Amino acid sequence: MSKIRRLLACKTLILMCLPAIAFFFFFSYAPMPGAYVAFTKFNYNDGIFASKFIGFDNFKFLFQSGQLGILLRNTVLYNLGFILIGNVVQMAVAILLSEIMSKRFRKVSQSIMFLPYFISDVLVALIVYNLLNYDFGFISNLVRSFGFEMPKIYSNAKAWPVVIILVHLWKSTGYGSVVYFAAIMGIDAEMIEAAKVDGANGFRRIIHIMLPCLKPTFIILLLFSLGGIVRGNFSLFYNLVGLNSMLYTTTDIIETFVYRSMMNNFNFSQSSAVGLFQSVVGFVIVVSVNQIVKKIEPDNALF
Amino acid sequence: MKKALAALMALLMALSLAACGSGSSPAPAAATNPDSGSAPAATAAPAPAKKTTITYMVTGDVPTNKTMTDVLPKVNELLGAKFNAELNVKWIEWTDYLSKYNLELASQDGNLDLIGTATDWLDAWPNTQRGAFLPLSEEMLKANAPLTYAQVPADHWDLCKYDGQIYLLPEDNFAQWTNHGFMYRGDWAKEAGLANGVHSWDQLGQYFGYVKSAKPDTIPWDAKPDASLVAQLSGGWLASHTKNIYIEGLRVDLFFGNSASDPYTVSNYFLEGSEFENFAKNQKAWSDAGYWKEDVLNNTTIDTRQEMHEALSGADQHHSMTYYGGEAKRMEEYQPGSDLGFFWFGEEQGNVVSLNITHGAMAIAARSKSPELALQIYDYIRNDPEAYHLFNYGIEGQQYVLAADGKTYTRPEGFVEDTDGAGFNYWWGRNDDLEFVGPLTDIPKKEILEAEYDKVSIVYPYGKAVFNLDSISAELDNLSNLYNTYMPQIVYGKAADPVAYVAEFREKLKTAGYEKCIAEVNAQLAATYK
Repeated sequence: MSKIRRLLACKTLILMCLPAIAFFFFFSYAPMPGAYVAFTKFNYNDGIFASKFIGFDNFKFLFQSGQLGILLRNTVLYNLGFILIGNVVQMAVAILLSEIMSKRFRKVSQSIMFLPYFISDVLVALIVYNLLNYDFGFISNLVRSFGFEMPKIYSNAKAWPVVIILVHLWKSTGYGSVVYFAAIMGIDAEMIEAAKVDGANGFRRIIHIMLPCLKPTFIILLLFSLGGIVRGNFSLFYNLVGLNSMLYTTTDIIETFVYRSMMNNFNFSQSSAVGLFQSVVGFVIVVSVNQIVKKIEPDNALF
Repeated sequence: MKKALAALMALLMALSLAACGSGSSPAPAAATNPDSGSAPAATAAPAPAKKTTITYMVTGDVPTNKTMTDVLPKVNELLGAKFNAELNVKWIEWTDYLSKYNLELASQDGNLDLIGTATDWLDAWPNTQRGAFLPLSEEMLKANAPLTYAQVPADHWDLCKYDGQIYLLPEDNFAQWTNHGFMYRGDWAKEAGLANGVHSWDQLGQYFGYVKSAKPDTIPWDAKPDASLVAQLSGGWLASHTKNIYIEGLRVDLFFGNSASDPYTVSNYFLEGSEFENFAKNQKAWSDAGYWKEDVLNNTTIDTRQEMHEALSGADQHHSMTYYGGEAKRMEEYQPGSDLGFFWFGEEQGNVVSLNITHGAMAIAARSKSPELALQIYDYIRNDPEAYHLFNYGIEGQQYVLAADGKTYTRPEGFVEDTDGAGFNYWWGRNDDLEFVGPLTDIPKKEILEAEYDKVSIVYPYGKAVFNLDSISAELDNLSNLYNTYMPQIVYGKAADPVAYVAEFREKLKTAGYEKCIAEVNAQLAATYK
């Protein structure tokens, strides 16, 4: 009885939660039983649950391909790169922004940095192609006009981790730094004043006040992003690399591999099998990272 | 609090199960469909009292010309009067058409009836195996598509069967050549010293070389990395340098029969011998010579044919019909005197296969609510002159003006193809008895090519083989991935050492179970053609 009363007591909060609950119910929980399709030989006419059960056969190709190691490596390393480099750059940018005194200049620079976030990856890929392609790219022509030889970027797999991380940073830094910027704005001004009075210069204030204050934000963002560490950014990778198989060794992530496989064979059961595999691995990673955080900093764990 | 949460979760799960349960309930209803189809209907089902909509799914960009605005209402007038029905057209746009097409089929819920399909370029057999199409009994065909049933001979119906049942209505009374090759400019070929034009890969190389050196603003061939193009080039070299014959329906283009005299053994071209290496070396040489762009594998945003019209690309790869059915005359308009020529793959060896009749075929959707009516409408459009001409050529006087011979037509004054044209891409039921000859068909060029083909072509030898790929499915998927990784680099000459690269590819194919797949295909061919 008391539980119901407690529920009633926070009815406003629950009401506010409802849209989110409904969203997750319809888009995350309701389709879950459909994951069963990963274990069937799917027939359109029989539907998901009446199709023939074939156990783990659909998972076979993923393990047989011999690609799984490379795919997992690429996916995880890119995501680690995005998360670590991304967060550091975002934090740095947020701190720099907070030190800018002219309000107008700060707003303008923030907007300019924010803008690339809204550009679709299709366009981004076109921009990159028109900058870097060997025959008529802007950068290629620039390099040649200075009398140097332009490297063939689109035939060189080693160049792509750099290109992709740079593009990702360009796209996401403005957006990501907003959170850190807000956290900095939330720091008690008295602390900074006190540090100033004690003779701390700007550099000291950043090291001893801002960074420690940003730590909880950083950890929460880290936890959120680690949950998706086996999920790659399909549209960015697919648009940038496309069908250029010369670059696959360093750019193929699970999503692009699955997409190409499915484009060729159109096998729903197999794509679901891979999706399920990704989800299970992602789940394990979130739970274990959370456990680790709990050990080190119990206050910052998610659950 | 935790318990309440757990209870809530349990409830959610239960609800979601129920939701999905009800979602899949149409399945048994659909399962009864074949019964209603095979039930001996001695006469055609009577026209329904309520107006029925029949949806026709077709590949093509949504028309911005007069197709939907002017011609469709006329078609629906005819269908309304005769069947109390109207036609709804579901266009599958060309970008990523195959995945969109397959997705539509997978998610059908009675919203589709007539489906244009093909065994070579639209996955007709895999979709049949996945249960996308309705099996058509002979009684049902006799009753609802009598004219088509009478026109298609028994041995052609045999090519439309899977597991003993007919699934496709073949476009078998329509002569066309869709074998691929290169369209090139005859005037430039002459300048290059090829007085008779290009008729081999060597001469093609000579032509490209000339364009590269003499036409600085033109890329000899502005190629794209599309998977279909890669497969055409690989198969093109094969046709020109071996007697091998392509086998359809195996998901990955690694399966060719040995020759017309030994068709039912899969060739070892991709595993051994030097011909495949020669291909890799040739392509590497062409790539190094700059016959296409350095970054060809990312060159996705161009339209090669349009570039050929504008003399920015010296060639375009497509099939015979495209060449004599439109491009030859169109190029005369864009580049007067260009005298477009066509080098067809296999020309050196005379290795060409006449078209498989299921290159275009109509199927009925498995979940169609009125399959009989759909069949009647197909039969009507395919065989009734008025309906056929309206559907394929548009309205007389607006889209075409028929000449006195009743066979050829011209365009009306001021006609612009892009805005005034019309047509429903009826590539699944064209009928030579009712065809007109349009102003874009280059008849002399057509006749020359057809005479050549008639001399050497053989009938597609694998029409009866519908492969069951269950036992080699995982292997085929991996082969397909390998093919799409290695073949583009071989075709566009991107490997530093082509011979070593071919060797590496061969090694990978073996590891992925290519030999097992060959054995399985051989066994199934042997079983089909005892």
